[in-house]
Amino acid sequence: MGKTAELLPGTLDMLILKAVSLEPLHGYGVLQRIQQISGDALEIPQGSLYPALYRLEHQELIAAEWGVSENNRRAKYYTLTGAGRRRLREETAGWNRLASAITAALNTTPGEV
Amino acid sequence: MLKRLRSLFRALKSRRDFEQGMTEELRFHIEQYTDDLVRSGVPSREAARRARIEFGSLNSVEEECREARGLRPVDELLRQLRHAARLLRKTPQFTAAALATLAVCIGANLTIFAAVDSVLLRPLPFPEAGRLVTIFNTYPKAGVDRDGSSIANYYERRGRIPAFSGVAIYRYGTAVLGEAGATERERIARVSPDFFSTLGTGPAMGRSFTDEETSPQTDKVAILTDACWRQHFHADPHVIGRQLRVDGIGNTVVGVLPPGFRFLSSEARVYFPFSSSPEDRGSAQRHSGGNSKHMIARLKPGATFEQAQAQIDAQNATLEAYDPMAKMLADAGFRSVVAPLHADHVQSIRSALLWTQAGAFALLLIGAVNLTNLLLIRASSRVKEIAVRQALGASRLHVIGEAIVETTLLTLAGGLLGLAAGAGGIRLLSAFGADRLPLGSHIAFDARLASIAVLGAMAMGLALAVPIAWFNLRGHVTGAIQSETRGGTTSRAAQSLRHGFIVAQIALATVLLSGAGLLGLSLERAMAVSPGFRPDHVLTAQISVPWNKYSSWPARLAFNDRLLKEISRQPGASAAGVVNNVPLSGNSGKSAATVKGHVRRPGESARGNYSYGVDGDYFAAMGFSLLEGRFLTADDSRRSSRVCVVDEDFARYYWPHGSALGQHLFAGGEATTDAQAFTVVGVVGAVKQAGLTDQAAQGAVYYPYALRTDDGLFLVVRTSLRPELLGPALQKLVRQIDPELPVNDLRSMDTRIADSLVAQRAPAMLAGIFSLIAVLLVAVGTYGVLSYAVVQRRREIGVRMALGARPDQIRSQFLALALRLLVAGEILGMAGAWLTGRAMRTLLFQVPPLHVATFAAAAAVIGVVSLVACLLPSRRAARISPMEAMADL
Repeated sequence: MGKTAELLPGTLDMLILKAVSLEPLHGYGVLQRIQQISGDALEIPQGSLYPALYRLEHQELIAAEWGVSENNRRAKYYTLTGAGRRRLREETAGWNRLASAITAALNTTPGEV
Repeated sequence: MLKRLRSLFRALKSRRDFEQGMTEELRFHIEQYTDDLVRSGVPSREAARRARIEFGSLNSVEEECREARGLRPVDELLRQLRHAARLLRKTPQFTAAALATLAVCIGANLTIFAAVDSVLLRPLPFPEAGRLVTIFNTYPKAGVDRDGSSIANYYERRGRIPAFSGVAIYRYGTAVLGEAGATERERIARVSPDFFSTLGTGPAMGRSFTDEETSPQTDKVAILTDACWRQHFHADPHVIGRQLRVDGIGNTVVGVLPPGFRFLSSEARVYFPFSSSPEDRGSAQRHSGGNSKHMIARLKPGATFEQAQAQIDAQNATLEAYDPMAKMLADAGFRSVVAPLHADHVQSIRSALLWTQAGAFALLLIGAVNLTNLLLIRASSRVKEIAVRQALGASRLHVIGEAIVETTLLTLAGGLLGLAAGAGGIRLLSAFGADRLPLGSHIAFDARLASIAVLGAMAMGLALAVPIAWFNLRGHVTGAIQSETRGGTTSRAAQSLRHGFIVAQIALATVLLSGAGLLGLSLERAMAVSPGFRPDHVLTAQISVPWNKYSSWPARLAFNDRLLKEISRQPGASAAGVVNNVPLSGNSGKSAATVKGHVRRPGESARGNYSYGVDGDYFAAMGFSLLEGRFLTADDSRRSSRVCVVDEDFARYYWPHGSALGQHLFAGGEATTDAQAFTVVGVVGAVKQAGLTDQAAQGAVYYPYALRTDDGLFLVVRTSLRPELLGPALQKLVRQIDPELPVNDLRSMDTRIADSLVAQRAPAMLAGIFSLIAVLLVAVGTYGVLSYAVVQRRREIGVRMALGARPDQIRSQFLALALRLLVAGEILGMAGAWLTGRAMRTLLFQVPPLHVATFAAAAAVIGVVSLVACLLPSRRAARISPMEAMADL
């Protein structure tokens, strides 16, 4: 495992939405997928994953359905809802704006001031 | 928001599924992770351990998940509810006492509120009912405060008062409906064509009356109420155009009213046109309203009462300018008054109702205070538990929440019982005759009342929680723990609060009891008033004799004759007479009489006197006393002799120094020709006319039946048997004379008098019931608090007894405490009772607002009850054994 970064507050929800937008996932799958798509750079505290999932389900941004896992066990699969898709779009756009603004700010050289 | 509620609701609905699913999901996660670790080479035991550690505490994750679904507050509430219910079950005596108190107090308030709501608060069942007004004539200086409106008034006003969008006139009556042999007497109303449009609610089927239908030749049309349509026509949808026999004559049905149509307190089942002749509408009849014809009107949108009043006044002034009686009218202080229809209709019972509600509310306060004290005592027994829990980290909010949940659970349960009690109470109200009061039969128990009860119970729960929460949070935690273990006394503040509540309770109960005493005494004094005649052993009944069958006075007198003759043959009947209206019926009419030779003093107007037409041995039957001369006889009626009898008030007013006998008077406001004069042949004792509590001695004139043009017919029979026993015979007898004439309103005169006091009796009885409950509550409250004080001070008493205090010293110490509270409470109560008495002066009859004997009796009752309630705990205190009390340490 390489270097990991602390998760910024509020970004877990966004990552969960992104993960389940790719394909329906169970909780453990969400965790693995986030680590995979972030190139193992993000450390997700396992205990905080489920409250976040339940909160998103409560807000009807994701929907849950019981299904069968790859090793033939009953597991709860999450999918993105329409509202979730919209939210993900908004959050992605917002994040991009924020990230480019911060990057621009950090790249400023003395001559540009 | 809606989404979240939906999600919360789903989670609640399948709460068990939710929990199972969550457990399974989390376990799946940990097991998957363990498997992955094993696959990457970690030994299986170590893998399981690491998976669990990395996941964190399963319990707190689950709790966070529940919170994420919004379940936490619900869980907390359910937990507290279960806790509160468990506590209440653990103290069944307390719970039963509290629930009983709540049920009675809330039930009493609901009952009275149901009446206040239906009679005073709810608008009349017409669109924009607030714009409906009534208009009546008043001649205050002639002794006639209220005289309805005349037909002439109606025709002069309709369409001519810009502030009104509609004016209508009506009068109530009775009619015999149906074919001969199957007739039924029904209450009816005669109304002008614009009556329904003025109210804003017209026939649901068919049409209203037209102007063409207002002459006696063309008025044979009828509009049925829904109930009558169902009963007489079996809800025939093609009833319009069918015939309805009324007083033996065919009438065409032109309309059917919607179900639930009800005008004020009217029981009318069929409406007919108010027909009149051109003479009736003429200006000469402008002031012949009498008590039977009433006017209503609807204010135009934007128009005010003041505008309407000003326009009526202006019109009256214009008309008066051409009125030959103008001077007399001015002398009599004539005016036409515009008053809101609803308020005017219920005015007579408004203050009695509001005072009864105040009494019920006082009872509720007493109950609430009582309950607070019991709850405080109960809280003190748990003070240690709560202190420990607070020390262990229970938040203040949690303690407050717990108090609220507990009291609200209690008050809601009590409120539900109160609903049942209220439903019973409303039945009790009608047993007291409340349904005979204005709008009284509208009193009903409905969803609106139930929701008010539930809301009220919740508000009461919140209010009760305040002192309990305060008590539980007060002071330092450590102090509380210590004080209840060793210190021996609780905080003085809590004790003063309890004592303060006892004082308040005693004060309120004293006020309530005194108020009830004043009302009861008023009722007793009103009942003790002699009506001026002998009402015992008198049976009365009303018979309405239709004009179309008995169309001349001789025919009507012949009917009277035959009726009286048959009656006098009945066993037990000693005298029988006929009168157009019995006294105390509530609608005795006044009309003017002019005494020949009487010169009016400046400003003195013609006087309105009660006037009656009598036939047969009316005076003997009713038990009048004869002061001078003779009674009128059947013979006077038969020959239509122009003689009359006056009462002593009349005689005293006109002939203060001489005899009334042989004097002459004219019926009406003017002296006319001598041929029209009546000769006074007798003077009888004055009787109460409108009600037993009448103060004014207005005077009365009795004319031979046929000469008083009022066709009402009351039969009055004096019997040596119980009057009610004569009823069936009387009905049979009338049927024999004419099978189409039903007898109604069959009541003994004693019953009539009792019924006439219903507006006084119902509040007095209710206040009496409330006081009884209040006294019981005071007993329970005092007993509870004193008992607790004894338990609380066991150790102190034990120590003192061990040091040589005698039992009677201990006993008197507690009695002295009780006495102090009692005296403080009663002093406050007396002050309150005096203020209350003054404020409800208008309800009192011959009782001063400050009636010392009543107040003293109230104070004595409360005093005795609360002292007796203290005796038991004080004696228990005196019996405490030092050894036992000290062993408790």
